[in-house]
Amino acid sequence: MSRAFPVLKREYLEVVRKKSFIVLTLLMPFLMAGMMFLPALLAVRGVADKTIAVVDGTGLLAAAFEAEAGPPVTENVPRQLRAAARSAPRPGGRLRFEYVAAGGDVDAAARPLLGRLQQGGKAGGGALDGVVVIPSGVFDDPEVALTYYSRSSADFMTQERLGSIVNRAVTHRRLAERGIVAADADRLLRRVRVEGVKLSRSGEQTAGGELNFLIGLLFVIMLMLPTFAYGQEVMRGIVQEKTERVVEILISSVSPMALLSGKILGLAAVGLTQVAVWFGLAAFAGLYVGAAATAVGVNLLGFLTVRVVLSFLVFYVLGYLMFVCVYAVGGAVSNSEKEAQQFMAPIMIVTMIPWILAMPILQNPDSRLAVGVSMVPFFAPFAMFMRVLVGEPPLWQVVLAVVLAAAMIVALFWATAKIFRVGILSYGKRPTIAELWRWLKVA
Amino acid sequence: MDDRPVVVLEEVSKSFGPVRAVERLSMAIRPGRITGLLGRNGAGKTTTLRMINGIFLPDHGAITVFGAREAGAVRDRVGYLPEERGLYRKMKVLEQLLFLAEIKGRRPAAVRPRARAWLERFELWDKRDAKVEALSKGNQQKVQLIGALLHEPDLVILDEPTVGLDPVNVVLVRNVLRELRDQGRTVLLSTHMMTEAEKLVDDIVLIHRGRVVLAGALDEVRSSFGVDTVQLDFSGDGSFLAGLPGVARARLDAGSAELRLTPGADPQRVLAAALGRVAVARFAVAAPSLEEIFIDQVGAAAELAAAAGEAAS
Repeated sequence: MSRAFPVLKREYLEVVRKKSFIVLTLLMPFLMAGMMFLPALLAVRGVADKTIAVVDGTGLLAAAFEAEAGPPVTENVPRQLRAAARSAPRPGGRLRFEYVAAGGDVDAAARPLLGRLQQGGKAGGGALDGVVVIPSGVFDDPEVALTYYSRSSADFMTQERLGSIVNRAVTHRRLAERGIVAADADRLLRRVRVEGVKLSRSGEQTAGGELNFLIGLLFVIMLMLPTFAYGQEVMRGIVQEKTERVVEILISSVSPMALLSGKILGLAAVGLTQVAVWFGLAAFAGLYVGAAATAVGVNLLGFLTVRVVLSFLVFYVLGYLMFVCVYAVGGAVSNSEKEAQQFMAPIMIVTMIPWILAMPILQNPDSRLAVGVSMVPFFAPFAMFMRVLVGEPPLWQVVLAVVLAAAMIVALFWATAKIFRVGILSYGKRPTIAELWRWLKVA
Repeated sequence: MDDRPVVVLEEVSKSFGPVRAVERLSMAIRPGRITGLLGRNGAGKTTTLRMINGIFLPDHGAITVFGAREAGAVRDRVGYLPEERGLYRKMKVLEQLLFLAEIKGRRPAAVRPRARAWLERFELWDKRDAKVEALSKGNQQKVQLIGALLHEPDLVILDEPTVGLDPVNVVLVRNVLRELRDQGRTVLLSTHMMTEAEKLVDDIVLIHRGRVVLAGALDEVRSSFGVDTVQLDFSGDGSFLAGLPGVARARLDAGSAELRLTPGADPQRVLAAALGRVAVARFAVAAPSLEEIFIDQVGAAAELAAAAGEAAS
């Protein structure tokens, strides 16, 4: 086995010295952070001011639109981000209204406005970003709906805001009809905030909520991405050694087992290096940008507990070894990278399953589905890690998942070594599944 | 010195699907000698060498190297130059050599001085930090050869070592291999170039269609064919030589000829006849050349096989 070491060292140095590795390792956390938080921030802060025409069939709601709808009051943005947006120097996304009281025929009143919306201002009277039509029966008829015309169907935020402004006005009006004044109505209608608190068994409290879910996803991506990247790398390396015929030299110098384990462990070390850099950057960010992050309410450091880091390492290694064995087989039985990709395509789909299940598992870490998936050896490393991250699964479940995954890895490694032994030297036609099975039994 | 054979093959067979690459092949490689494994393209030379290296396992028969049945046990004592270049293209020359020695169990620091000596001898020291892919084919071949020798193996197995080398390098390689032999190491090389083999090897194993046709010390093999060959260098048109009385078979090149004589024929009469028609620059009576023996044996084997094929059908 000592001969695995030079192979390990060579594989490690070859990848780590690549420029692409250095760039990816340093940029990845920033890219991820950007992907996670920028859209949410932009959705709140980056919205331009809008001019909306209001066609009011009742003619009674003018007051609601005169009181300009200043800071955005959206319900579906994380509270922390909302706070950040409010404290921002320039709260964007003000709505300006053009109010039209339309007695009776709202369609006739709306028509010229819709024309302006379509023409984008060229028809005179200035450009419009949207037209909202309030039907006359809005107070009594339960079937009635507001109509919001806009040029962008994805502008759900403005639509939500208009909806809540109109609803508030309509509710006020209905209450006023029953003799309740506006000030009382506001007090009666005040919403109660929901604050997420995660209660762990040791009694500690950490802030829960929507962002925890996002950060959970971020961790899972960090866990899975290197596995895919370096699995591909192992596969490409093996195919390359075959096409460059280095494999003859290697096989006549070291045992196939040493060669295989050297390769797999070398790239595992690459992945660990990368993850270590990421954790290091996160800690750095925690120390120096921590204040800023906390101001926005992102409790990133709350996640970097010893428990999470340890389980990250354990499940990272397990997940990595599990899939890389399969990639090694793909490389050993193929004669070109293209062939190897074809071989791997169906396997890739299976490996995507825990990713697809990330949403339900992160939201309900103790559901029957989550527990079940985290016990399947092939998915355990990812699924169990998600559970550890957001919940507190019983220790026996964690241990069982680790043991099952480890057993699976031993079995996979054994099979891989056998197929590798035969496959790595077979030039020419790619073997069929039946042939693979024969190799497994014979070699 | 121990005279037991370094490599022994007993009734070794290997097939690839329907193709029988090697069939019941037996041979023994003597220590401290250069043995040439000769044969045409596709005769089974590379398959045989790969089996000795433990890259392929034989279907039948046994192979022992240094007395061991398991190739893994003696890997470190063997150096191997494969038929096709087998180097990491993106790796630097010196780094690659140190890696090759390391997987043979040598510490990189310990072999570095020797790596430098080899690179200097092969005029590659300047290129030690160049990537392999940037080297010419001949230079890559030299790097590969150093890789096979750097860990000081007792047995060196070379599959077509001089392919792609210019004449100066061919001489250099030949000298290196002789030195290895003089140090007591065993060299096994394959080639299909008989004139090349003749200048270098001590023993030959001639294989054809996966079987041994002829084996033994080169001198003995040649003399066993008798001193019945006239070698002639000349200027002029030599086409008449084939028709001279006493000439059983003639192989003519531009300006030279090798004539096998019928038993009892007088070489001097052949010379006299030749002198009348062309200007003779060199005349020699000798055992047949390896090339002549090769064509003789392989041609005969080919004819036999053809006859057997006809008889079977």
